[in-house]
Amino acid sequence: MLTFVLHRGVGLLVSTFLVITITFLLMQMIPGDPAAVMLGANATPEQIEALQETWGLNQPIYAQFVHYLANFLRGNFGDSLFHREPVLGIIAQRAETSIWLGAVALLVVVGLGIPAGVFAAIRPNGLTDNTMLLVALAGASIPSFWLGLMLMALFAGKLGWLPSSGFTSILETGNLGNLKNLILPGFSLGFVNAALVARTARSSMLDVLQADYITTAKAKGLRSRVVIMKHAFRNAAIPIVTVVSFTFASLVSGAVVTETVFALPGIGSLIVQSVLKRDYPVIQGIMAIVAVLYVVVNFATDLSYALLDPRIRYR
Amino acid sequence: MTENVNRTKAQRASRRERIRSIGSGLWKFATRRRTTGIALAILVSLLFIAATGPLIAPYDADELRMTDRLQGPNRTHLLGTDHFGRDILSRALSGTRITLLLGISISAFALCVGLPIGMLAGFFDRFGLVVMRFVDALMAFPAIILALALMAILGKPGIVNVILAVGLVWAPRMVRVVYSATLSIREATFVEAARALGVSPRRILLRHVLVNLVSPVIVQVTFTFAFSIMEVAALNFLGVGIPPYVASWGGMMNEGRTYVIRAPWIILFPGLFLATAVLSFNLIGDALRDRLDPKLRRVM
Repeated sequence: MLTFVLHRGVGLLVSTFLVITITFLLMQMIPGDPAAVMLGANATPEQIEALQETWGLNQPIYAQFVHYLANFLRGNFGDSLFHREPVLGIIAQRAETSIWLGAVALLVVVGLGIPAGVFAAIRPNGLTDNTMLLVALAGASIPSFWLGLMLMALFAGKLGWLPSSGFTSILETGNLGNLKNLILPGFSLGFVNAALVARTARSSMLDVLQADYITTAKAKGLRSRVVIMKHAFRNAAIPIVTVVSFTFASLVSGAVVTETVFALPGIGSLIVQSVLKRDYPVIQGIMAIVAVLYVVVNFATDLSYALLDPRIRYR
Repeated sequence: MTENVNRTKAQRASRRERIRSIGSGLWKFATRRRTTGIALAILVSLLFIAATGPLIAPYDADELRMTDRLQGPNRTHLLGTDHFGRDILSRALSGTRITLLLGISISAFALCVGLPIGMLAGFFDRFGLVVMRFVDALMAFPAIILALALMAILGKPGIVNVILAVGLVWAPRMVRVVYSATLSIREATFVEAARALGVSPRRILLRHVLVNLVSPVIVQVTFTFAFSIMEVAALNFLGVGIPPYVASWGGMMNEGRTYVIRAPWIILFPGLFLATAVLSFNLIGDALRDRLDPKLRRVM
C-alpha cells in the first residue's frame, strides 16, 4: 500500500506542477503588456513601470516563472485589480458559500443518483429502469442554469415556498436555516450530475449482477437484499466512485453558472465577475486553486480504489 | 473492348450495390431504436430551421414592439414576447443557425487539433509521454472555468473568440480519445505486419491507423458538438460569449433573467430548444457508439 501511495504521490506532484505551469502560460497569452492591460487606459507610464517592477515583468520569462512559483508556494497570488486586496483573501471569503453549495449538490448526486441506478438495475427494462433512463437522459441534456431558473420561477415565484436568491454566511450567523437558500441551487446543480451517476451505477450493477458469485449467493438462499447490498453493490462501487469524483469538475463548472443565477456570493460568481472586469490576478488564482483541487480529488479517488479493491494495490 | 464494357457495367453495378447497402445500413441505424429515429428527425428539423432561418419565422427576430412586451404565449405570439416585445419563437428560430454554426466550428477545431496530436502521441511513445501529461493537466481545469479564462485572455466577446475558447477546452478531450484508440490499434496484427514489411511510420499512420480511428472520432465529434453548444449557451448566458445583439439561446436566457418570475417563458423556450438539440446529439452519439464499436462503451 505504501509503494502505491508513494507512486501516486509523485504523480500528484508532477500534475500539480504542470497545472500551475499552464496557469502561468495562459496568463502570458494576454495580448500586449499585462501591466498596461491590467491598469487600464488611464495608467501613466510610471504606474506601468512600477507594476512591472513589483511583478518582475521586466525580467526574462523563466525568471518570471520562478518568481511566480515561489509566490504560489507562499500562497501569494497577487492583488485584485478591482478590490485592491490580496487575491487569496477574496477567494477565502467566497469559499464558504461554494463549499455549502457543493455539499448540498453532492448530497443530491449521491442520494439520488446511486439509489436510482441500483434500483433500476434490479429489474432491467422494467418500469423503474425505463423511467430512470428517460429522466437520466433528459437530465444529462439540460443545462443546470436553465433548470435552476425554472425551479426558481416555480418554487420561489409561483408557489413562494423557497427564497429565490442570496445567501448569508452560516459560520458568521450560526443560523443553519440559511441552508434553505441553497435548496434550489443545490438541487439544480446536483440533479444534472445525478443523471450521470445513475447511468453509471446502473450499468456497473448490471455487469456485476451477472457474475457467478451472485448466482452462488442466490443459490445459497441468501435474501436478495443481502445479495444486492453486500455482494453486488460493493463490487460495483469502483466505477461509481470514479464517476462521483468526475462530478467534482462538473460541479465546479455548474457552480459557476448556478451561483450567478441565484446570486450566491461564491467562487463561481466571483470568477464570472472577474472575467467581466478583466481582473486577471483573481482569474489566475481561482484557476490555479480549482485545478490543484481537482488533481488532489483525483489522487484521493485513486487511493479509494485501493481501499475498495485490494487487488489494485499490487498492479 | 467488350471486356471493358463488361467491367464498367460490373463496376457500376457494384457501386449501385454499395450505395444501396450504405442506404439500407443508414435505414437500419435510424430504425433499430425508436429514439435514434426521433433524434435524427430532430436533427434534420434543426438543420432545416438553420437553413431557412428568417423565412419561416413569423416575425423579424430583432423587431422591437414595446406595446406587445412581456406577453405570455398566445395566438399572435405562439411562445410569447420578451421585455422589448420581440417574438420569442422568431428569436429562438434565429438562434438555431448560430448555435449549429458554432457547434460545427468548435467540433471541427477540436478535431483538427486533437486528431493529429492524439495520433502522434499514441504512436510515438516519448512524444506521447510528454503530450499526454500536458493534456491531462489541461483537463484538470473545469470546462467552463477554462473557457471563461480564455475569453478573458482573448479579449472582446465575439464568434471567433468563442470558437477558440471552447475549441481549446474540447481539443484535449479529443486528443485523449484519439490517443487511447491509437494505442490499441498500434498493437493490432496488421500494424505489426506492416512494420515487419518495412512500411514507413508515416504510411502506417495514414493508411492503417487513421482509417481505424474513424469510428471513435465520429462518436467523439458528436459528443463534442453536444457539450460545446451547451457550453456556448452557458458563456452567452453569463454575458461573455457572442455579442448580445446576436439572438442566441443562451443570450435570450440571460436577458430574461430579470423577468424570470413575471415572464418565465422568455427562458423556458430557448432552454427547451437547447435541451432538445443537446438531447438529439447525445442520442445519436450513443447510437453511433453502439453501432460502430460496442467496445467503446468502456473508453468513453
